[in-house]
Amino acid sequence: MDKQLDLLQGTLDMLILKAVSLGALHGYGILLRIQQISKDRLEIQQGSLYPALYRLEHQGWIASEWGESENKRKAKYYRLSAAGKRRLQAESEKWNRMAKVIAGILQTTPEEV
Amino acid sequence: MESEMDAELRFHIEAFAEDLVRSGVPRAEALRLARIEFGGIERAKEECREARGVNFLETLFQDLRFGQRLLRKAPGFTTVAVLTLALGIGANAAIFSYIDAWFIKPLPYPQPDRLVSFETQDKKHGWTSGGVTSAADFFDFQKQNTSFEQTAAWGGASLNLTGDGPPELIDGGRVSWNFFDMLGAKPILGRTFTAEDDRSGAPHVAILSQGLWQGRYAGDPKIIGRNIAVGGEAYTVVGVMPGTFQFPLMGIANLWTPLALTEMQRADRGNVWLPAFGRLKPGVTLEQARAETATFFAHLEKEFPKTNTNLTWLVSSVTHKIRKEEGGPEVMICFVVVGLVLLIACANVANLMLARATSRTREFAVRGALGATRKRLAGQLLTESLLLFLVGGAASLLFASWGMHWIESQTPGHIRGYIVNYGHVELDFSMLMFTLGITLLCGLVFGFAPAFENSQLDVNHTLKETSGQTSGSKRGARLRRIFVAAEIALAVVVLISATLLVKSFIISVRSSPGYNPANVLVAQLALPKTKYTEDSQLRNFSDEVLSRIRALPGAASTGVASHVPFGGFGQGIEFQVVGKPLQPGERPGAPFTAVSADYFSTMQIGLVEGRFFDSSDAYGTSPSIIISQTMARQAFSGEDPIGKTLSLGEQHSVGTIVGIVNDIKMNYLRERPGWHIYVPLAQFPSRTFGFVVRSSGDPTIMAAAVRDAIWAVDRDQPISSVEPLENLIAVVNTGDRLVADLMVFFSFLAMFLGAIGIYGVMAHLVSQRIHEIGIRMALGASPVHVMSMVLGQGLKLALGGVAAGVLAALGATRLLATQLYQVTPTDPLTFIGVPLLFAIVALAACYLPAWRGMRVDPLVALRYE
Repeated sequence: MDKQLDLLQGTLDMLILKAVSLGALHGYGILLRIQQISKDRLEIQQGSLYPALYRLEHQGWIASEWGESENKRKAKYYRLSAAGKRRLQAESEKWNRMAKVIAGILQTTPEEV
Repeated sequence: MESEMDAELRFHIEAFAEDLVRSGVPRAEALRLARIEFGGIERAKEECREARGVNFLETLFQDLRFGQRLLRKAPGFTTVAVLTLALGIGANAAIFSYIDAWFIKPLPYPQPDRLVSFETQDKKHGWTSGGVTSAADFFDFQKQNTSFEQTAAWGGASLNLTGDGPPELIDGGRVSWNFFDMLGAKPILGRTFTAEDDRSGAPHVAILSQGLWQGRYAGDPKIIGRNIAVGGEAYTVVGVMPGTFQFPLMGIANLWTPLALTEMQRADRGNVWLPAFGRLKPGVTLEQARAETATFFAHLEKEFPKTNTNLTWLVSSVTHKIRKEEGGPEVMICFVVVGLVLLIACANVANLMLARATSRTREFAVRGALGATRKRLAGQLLTESLLLFLVGGAASLLFASWGMHWIESQTPGHIRGYIVNYGHVELDFSMLMFTLGITLLCGLVFGFAPAFENSQLDVNHTLKETSGQTSGSKRGARLRRIFVAAEIALAVVVLISATLLVKSFIISVRSSPGYNPANVLVAQLALPKTKYTEDSQLRNFSDEVLSRIRALPGAASTGVASHVPFGGFGQGIEFQVVGKPLQPGERPGAPFTAVSADYFSTMQIGLVEGRFFDSSDAYGTSPSIIISQTMARQAFSGEDPIGKTLSLGEQHSVGTIVGIVNDIKMNYLRERPGWHIYVPLAQFPSRTFGFVVRSSGDPTIMAAAVRDAIWAVDRDQPISSVEPLENLIAVVNTGDRLVADLMVFFSFLAMFLGAIGIYGVMAHLVSQRIHEIGIRMALGASPVHVMSMVLGQGLKLALGGVAAGVLAALGATRLLATQLYQVTPTDPLTFIGVPLLFAIVALAACYLPAWRGMRVDPLVALRYE
């Protein structure tokens, strides 16, 4: 369980939404939060984090404002919007259904076919 | 925005570095590691900008800077494109200023949409009187109507001005007292007329134009109250109108006096001569006014069946009338034609951009490889084309103002009175907006195709090519060919339309007017009622002047008529063939001229049948009549008119037809042959005279002598004009000539642009096929073969365009029908000649590229890679 997994296509957005749903965070904080929840098992390209944040903000799912970081520096904080909340819920359901279906397929033994 | 993004990313890296420091990495090393871990910062930033989606302005400025550098780096391309656009847009802007004056700007009077003109119309036969009504009908309607705030009438008049300098005939008008008030015109000095002024027998008063006041009277500050001599009578000046005041339905006017009709004139219902118009009450619609006039005239018809059977008024908006009749169609035709020329110019520039973009394929491929999206590249190309068009649009204003000055300089003062909003035609805000509008529109539409085509690319393929000699996309080449074919088609439409108009103009100028205007001098004048009270005085005056002119050396022959061709408004007369009762409502009439015996021979009007007037047609003998050929054919139901008797006018003078002469053009070169009645001047005295003198050479040499001959008879008599007849014709024909000149210019422009277009495409095609041509030649193709191959390809392209153009022209020229004189809209010669000419021009345009192809050295071409 030590090897880091590459992120599946399209899942970064969902992870960001989940991360900020637990409280407003700055970009670096989001990175840390995801790594922390995933127990460092996911590899996130730092460079791809910000375009994703800008995109999510542009789509209205997260909102940003400038605030002060824990070490008294100016930082941009992101939080989940109402639309983002709904989006996260829908995405999570979709993901769980998908995971179940795929897991079901993969667990199929030859006798069951 | 940009700095916020920087700050955010910097924060990230520093926070990361701090964490690294906390975990034991040295500070200097930590920052470096953090950067490496983060990855490409610039790329992340670019992606952020894309994701944010609001970087429009930044991109725009970047593209504009880049585009501007590119334009400067390719001066040849830029010059050709900008010049093409400047010509195309400039022509449109110049013509638009007239469209604006005629069709968009309201007439320069308060609430111009309430102004309505009246003219007598025959319900049964459908003819209209050409803008006039009878005085009694007008004054009755003025008294009884409920739809109009005010109604006014006027009579165009040329007024003799004497004293304070040489006698001068001034274009002016006799107007009802409320004429100026109705048009909302305020004098710059004094007052307008009052109802008192407009009564017959009231003290004479006059209003001057600013031009007349400043010219003849040197801007006399005490002009108000000053007496001037008009037609030999004293008039008191009461006002001066501003130079901008004019009324296009009336034409040029510099002097106004009150209409002041006598009771008898006001009660005259038989003569239809009075131009009239009115101002609708607020809230009354044109329809309501029409309904009221219809009821009113239905009553008149019952009350006065002799004069008013079948008659009513055609009530139309003054604005509409001016747009429809006074030059409107001509202005519209010019506008459509310049529009087509602009399309051709734009297609040319789009083609240039397409061609240029092919050689920029590598640039785009590299940028694509570096992460530029297709949208981004297309956006940049579009910005570049817009920039180019804007530069062209700015330069076009120069051409536009030249064009407007040229048109103005070609318009004689006499005509300017008819130009709607004259003096308001200028480089103004609406014209600038129009120019900007069409520039942006054309830039977007014609920039879109190249942008779309060229942003489509296969990065791998392009970058693998070894040189800049990429073939570009196949579709790009096809697009360019379509553009050129369309361009040629449009040019053919322009050229065919222009040729028809010019041909019609030339025919109308060349066609015999029915007399020979060369070497004829015309002197026009009108004798004042105050001084010449008796008919015998009028007769003596003309006889004496004629004998003096006849004695002049150089005068081959001379004659006089009450009214000469192209001498302004003529007279008409009603007639009845004796012994042939009229149907109710039938009121035949014809233009009417009283002439001296030698008038026909001097003018060289041909005799068709019978005889000319001679000395036997003297005062006191039974009247003789000569009629025009068309009248002879149409008015006597196939019988020979010679020997028939006519009863003329209200006096019912009965005369015998003694001759038939050929039809002549009286007012207009595009005139259709019509009815005309001539009578001997000795038997029908006239107060207006046009003396015609035929000389053996240049008639202008005789002008002074003719003037002196007239002044020898009456020293105070003003002469309205002494001019060669050809000049009079040319002045009237100014509008047609102007349109013809513009057409010649636009069609050359269209053809030139079309030729450049096909040349550009063929030259580009050849340069792309050099390699292929080299192979062909190495394999044994002769230079002649190569040449015919290139020419064939070009010709195929041109012929496609020409064919499409001919088809389009067949539809388009039908709209010109009313403007054409003795030329059908599908004139075969034009429809064969123009395409042929175009094929030749296209062939010539392809020759140079073909020649270059022929000269290809296979060795060089094959090594070219």
